[in-house]
Order: sequence, then C-alpha cells, then structure tokens
Amino acid sequence: MVGFLLFIDRLSAGVGKAFGWCMIILVFGTCYEVFMRYVLRAPTNWAFDMAYTMYGALFLMAGAYTLSRNGHVRGDVLYRLLPTRMQAAMDLALYILFFFPGFLALLVYGYPYAMTSFMIREVSIYSPAGQPIWPLKALIPLGALFMLIQGLAEAIRCVIALRDGAWPQRLQDVEELESAILADEEARARLAEQQVASGAAR
Amino acid sequence: MTNPEVGMLMLGLFIFVILLGFPIAFTLIAMGIFFGYFAMGTRIFDLLVTNTADVMQNDVLTAVPLFLFMGYVIERSNILDRLFHSIQMAAKNLPGSLAVATLITCALFATATGIVGAVVTLMGLLAFPAMLRAGYDTRLAAGVVCAGGCLGIMIPPSVLLILYGATTGTSVVKLYAAAFLPGFLLAGLYVVYVMARAIINPKLAPKPPELDKPLPLGEVIWAMLTSFFPLFILIMAVLGAILFGLATPTEAAAVGCAGALLLAACYRALTFERLKEATYLTARTSAMVCYLFIGSWTFSSVFSYLGGHEVIEAWVKSLELSPTMFLILAQLIIFLLGWPLEWTEIIIIFVPIFLPLLKAFNIDPIIFGILVALNIQTSFNTPPMAMAAYYLKGIAPPHVKLTEIFAGALPFVFLVFITMAVVYIFPEIALWLPQKLYGN
Repeated sequence: MVGFLLFIDRLSAGVGKAFGWCMIILVFGTCYEVFMRYVLRAPTNWAFDMAYTMYGALFLMAGAYTLSRNGHVRGDVLYRLLPTRMQAAMDLALYILFFFPGFLALLVYGYPYAMTSFMIREVSIYSPAGQPIWPLKALIPLGALFMLIQGLAEAIRCVIALRDGAWPQRLQDVEELESAILADEEARARLAEQQVASGAAR
Repeated sequence: MTNPEVGMLMLGLFIFVILLGFPIAFTLIAMGIFFGYFAMGTRIFDLLVTNTADVMQNDVLTAVPLFLFMGYVIERSNILDRLFHSIQMAAKNLPGSLAVATLITCALFATATGIVGAVVTLMGLLAFPAMLRAGYDTRLAAGVVCAGGCLGIMIPPSVLLILYGATTGTSVVKLYAAAFLPGFLLAGLYVVYVMARAIINPKLAPKPPELDKPLPLGEVIWAMLTSFFPLFILIMAVLGAILFGLATPTEAAAVGCAGALLLAACYRALTFERLKEATYLTARTSAMVCYLFIGSWTFSSVFSYLGGHEVIEAWVKSLELSPTMFLILAQLIIFLLGWPLEWTEIIIIFVPIFLPLLKAFNIDPIIFGILVALNIQTSFNTPPMAMAAYYLKGIAPPHVKLTEIFAGALPFVFLVFITMAVVYIFPEIALWLPQKLYGN
C-alpha cells in the first residue's frame, strides 16, 4: 500500500515539477519582451499572453504536488496538538465531505468548459497574436483529476494513520530553508544527547 | 431561514472548519459550492470553473511566482555572509554597531527575498551568535533578528502587497509607492531604538573586539561594492522600474529574477541543484497561494450573493462607530486573526470582508492596506503564535529561553504600533509619494 501511495506522490510531484519549469519560460520570455521594447523599440505581441499562461499552468498543475507535500496551508493551531488518530479521523471525514465534491465539480464541469473553448478554437482577446486559449482551459479538468488522485492518496494515508497511530512516510523532497535548517539543528541536538547518554552509560 | 442568515451560517461554519485544521483552500471551495448550490443551483459549478480560469488569467497574480522565485534564488546565492560582514564593517563606529548592521542586513535581505522564516533562521545562525559572542544582551539580540526578519513583507517589492492589490482591486504600483516611506520609517525607528538603547546602556551592546581596530577605508568600500551594492541596485532597479511606470510589476519581477540568477552566478552559487530547488519551491508556494484565491473568490461571490456583506455592513453601521473607531476595531480583528492564521489567509480571505465597509467609512483602501501590512509584522512576534520567535528558538543555543526572545521582540512590536499610529495620523507619509508620482 505504501508503495502505491509513493507512486501517486511521485506522479503528482513529476507533473508539478515539470510544470514548475514554466517559471524559466516566464522569466526569460518576459525579459525578452522588456529587451525588445526598450532596446529595440519593437515590443512583441505575445508576451502578455505568454506570461499569464505560464503562471496559470504553473500554479494549477502544482496543486497536486503541493498536496503531496502537505503544503496547502492549514489553520493548525489546535490541529497540531491533537493525537495522530484524531487528526486522521477528522482529515478523513473532511476529505470525503469537503475535498472530493469540490474537485469532482471542477473535473465534471471543467471538461465541457474546456471542450467548448476547443470546439470554437477560442483565442486570447488580449492581443492580436491570436494565442489559443483552450490549452490553458484544458488544464482545469486535468489539474482537478490530478488533485483527485492525490486526494485519494491522502485519504488512504488517513486510514493507515487511523490503523497504525502514525502517519505513513512521504517522499524526500526539497523543503523551505527554515524547515531544512530547523530539522538539521534538531538532528544535531538529538545526536549530542545520545552521545551524552552513551557517555554516561560508560 | 432567509438568505442573509444562510450567509452568516456559511461564514460561521467556515471559521469552525478552519479551526479543525483542514486545508483552508479546500474548505473555501467546499463552503462555496455547498451554499452556492443552495442559493443558485448547478450554476455554482460553472462559477467555480470560471473563477478558476479567472485566477489562472489574472495578470496581477502573475507577478507572485516571479517574486517568489527571485526570493528563493537570492536566498540560495551565498550573499548573506558577505552582506552582513561588509555592513558590519561599514557600521562599526555607530553605537550598537552589530545590532544596527543586523537590522540593515535583515531589511535589505528580507526585502529581496520576502520570506520571513528564511531570513530569521539564516540571520539567527549568522548574526545572533555573533552578537552573543560580543556580549550583547540576549533579549536585544533576539528582538533585532526577529523584528528585522519580518521587514520584507512590508517593504516593497513585497508579495503581500500584490496579494492585497489582487484581493481589493487596488493598484499594486500605488501600493508599492505608498508602502515605501512607511517601510523605511519602521526600519528607521528600529535602528534609532537600538542605537538609543546602546547609548543609554553601552553594556547591552558592546563593540566586538575584532572591530575595534581601524580598518582601511578601501577594504570597507570594496566589501560594500561586492555585496551590498549589487543587491541594493537590483532591488532599486526592480522597484524603480515599477514606480516610474517603466515596467509592470510582472515585467520588473522577471528582470529581477534574471538579475538574481546573474548575482547567484557571480557568487558561484548557481548550480543546477539550487535552480531546481528554487523552481520547485516556487511551484509549491504559488499553488498554495493561488488555490486560496480560487477558494476565496468562489466563497465570497456566494457570500455576497446571499447578502452576507450587507448583514455585516448593517451590523457594523448599527454600532455607530466613528471612522477612527472602526479602523481600530478592524486592525484589532486583524491583529487577533494573526494568532490562528497566516498572513496569506488574512489578506486573501478576511480583507474582502472589510472591503465594502471601507467605502462606508470613507477610508482609503491604500492606507488600509499599508496599516494591514504593518499590523501583520506583529503577528510574527506576538505570543502565542510568534513564528519568528519559534524559528529563532529552533536554531539558537540551548541556553536562550523562548521567553527571552518574546521579551526581546516586544519593544519592536510597540514600534510597529507607533508607526501605524503615525501613518494613520499623518496619512501623507503613505500618500505623498503615489500622489507625487501619479497625481490623484
């Protein structure tokens, strides 16, 4: 089961990271526009559409990746004080009640929305370049699908935590600098304690 | 039950579920579609989809991942050690020189990165032990690091003001111009306070012995040229391009990202590994923020459809508050919300509730935004949920007590309140620059 969960984590992370590289296109595409406008006095007609498209794709498709890292922010003042089983029970109920309906709706209603856009070959209204808009809209049901898959994994995690009384492991990944530094410090303190303890035993 | 009553139930239930600790973005979406289905049937599902598409095509929010990326790159560019060292040398003749250098380093680095936790932990590892070694008062040293680390969410170009602009429909450019002087006022007050403490009681902040010898001026200038000025010029270029209307915040941020990558390359810190880290963290943080927007827009459109805003407005009007009283009440609520919530949720979810009231009380949303940005500084430093203090405690030597850190940060919290009062009484501090630059 844990193997299956980690497979889903890897899937979400893979998708999220792949779309994360939109960042580079966003940075250099926009810099190119600024260069063209100020240095060559020849602004592009695609940069504006490119910018929001890259940003929209980037954040929407990173949603499941963020969920796999437990990165969607919680008001966890009380939550973090609760025993693991209690957390898991509440999370499980709320995933079923609150998570799945929302993203199911986004999937079911997002699909015809994107289809319509595709059928009429909708293009951006913001510039004469005529950039197609349907690929971005098609990401809505796709992103919802990945969210649902990852949400299923999270719900299964809750069941495992209910049974075992401990949260199952997640994949290793890059963490915010402060979390990484704090984790390092804790590990060092624990090591020092162990050395003191073993020294005392001797 | 009438519609407005359902709206109130919606808000109450939402606050209850938030306290259960479920991810807030999902709670917002769920509340939006449940109550929306009650109010307008299946049209709510279409609304959810179009809201998602609107967030994806929002040109203000496009700047968010760019500024985040710039921050993550600078955070990983090995600049901080040099920066602190050179500012330390340049400030060595000032009273409380080490603390002043810490504050200035924090202000600059926090402005460039905008990530509170990272600034506090990095400076906590670098400047805090240096101050303790020099014999500084633990409280003063802790307060300086905690307060300085939070300046980045206020001083432009900050992500907080972009989110506020996107939430309220206020111009981000004007917000940046308005936040400029109050931000420097706050940082300046911090510096003056530290110097005053050091002059009154030099034992609190003794000069480190290694800085007591005269330094060749050339060395100091060279150190500043290779650390302080590149970062300073980068920030000023980004900010200047925005303020003088040469580029949109998105464009300026993109150029800032390119500059940050160049800076990192110059410091030999631009490895593929770090680029990956910065990219992936940007993707995750952007998703966290922007899913909140999807939820919040859906929630608040249903809430106002049900007439919830009118109920709140009628209720607040029935209190017959003066605008000043209302402003104090609003800021107090935001201050208290800083306990269970982080600033992203306060800005994206709760500011829209106050927004219609601002017009009723004739309060400029720009001034309100600046006050909120100042207010949120305190939420990192007031117990029980003082994140900055917890970060510092996590990396400080074991003998430093959490209560000492709280006590050290407290005077700086008061300085924030003083700044808020000053900005409220003299709104010109905030409004002069935007008026000068853009007229009315």
